[in-house]
Amino acid sequence: MSEVMVITSGKGGVGKTTTTANIGTGLALLGYSVVLIDTDIGLRNLDVVMGLENRIIYNLVDVVEGNCRMKQALIRDKRYPNLYLLPSAQTRDKTSVNPGQMRKLVDDLREDFDYILLDCPAGIEQGFRNAIAGADRALVVTTPEVSAIRDADRIIGLLEAEGMKPIDLIVNRIRMDMVRRGDMMSVGDVADILAVDMIGAVPDDENVVVCANQGEPLTGIDCLAGQAYLNICRRLTGESVPFLELEPRKGILVRISGLLKRA
Amino acid sequence: MGQIILFRKGNSGEIAGMRLKLLLASDRAHISSGILEQIRDDMIGILSRYAEIDVGQVTMRVKRPEDPGGSGMTPLLCVSLPLRQKYASQT
Repeated sequence: MSEVMVITSGKGGVGKTTTTANIGTGLALLGYSVVLIDTDIGLRNLDVVMGLENRIIYNLVDVVEGNCRMKQALIRDKRYPNLYLLPSAQTRDKTSVNPGQMRKLVDDLREDFDYILLDCPAGIEQGFRNAIAGADRALVVTTPEVSAIRDADRIIGLLEAEGMKPIDLIVNRIRMDMVRRGDMMSVGDVADILAVDMIGAVPDDENVVVCANQGEPLTGIDCLAGQAYLNICRRLTGESVPFLELEPRKGILVRISGLLKRA
Repeated sequence: MGQIILFRKGNSGEIAGMRLKLLLASDRAHISSGILEQIRDDMIGILSRYAEIDVGQVTMRVKRPEDPGGSGMTPLLCVSLPLRQKYASQT
């Protein structure tokens, strides 16, 4: 039986799809069988971030409408044999599927996977309703910015009203240099304001862009963001993992001044 | 009406936190932030007649219904008014 989690945020562009791709990959690396479902109908992106865009034949809407069997739509990621993607449709819209259909679709997958991850679209209307329909738990992604936190709060309120439990927070794109200067809210500030448990904090990392360019998930790679995502995966499976230090590497100037001091 | 906020360099993070607390309280309670500030000021004024309130430490939060300590049904407006050490005692 699966654990089904929805990755949502309210605000667009805070890192839901990146988070879904990397958590899915991380769980697969830890040996679990995982299916990623892109529920953003009309604006699909999970396929591109995963680098599987050329392998799409059937999609979520095809499965719901009975045009194909689930097996035909699922794309097996050749890099991680336990990882599958159910892509979304690009030429339809969110009214093509309803929450009841999503619930049934998720239930049909429960027997075959350890984890089902639903990448939720931005917003609070039908797309959101569809994505949360089959989910057991929610991961809310936010950045440490006023507008993202405001939207995350609204989403948390809606999730709580639906009885969703547990709801865990991921604070994304932290810049420790800005936090130290007082120009960015800290991870603790954000978690305190939103009054939910935090399951992870991911630093802003250039590698996210580089990896997305190449269609390679980040999680195996030796960088802070990759480590952070892997730690989140470990916590999801029940391990107790301390939070990363998130200290940025010292810049060249600091290294030079260090050398001068020794002279 | 407005608050006087002292701007220090590199303080925008703190300002964001302050703004968000009021903003989320307003969003959750469906009461405008202006009215919430008035509620807070009025409460400080009323209680100050009976005890010394540490005004700088007064906090106001609105809990979502399902939050720990929430009402379970409706948003809950929580105002904390710390008392100063010396308080007026009736003898």
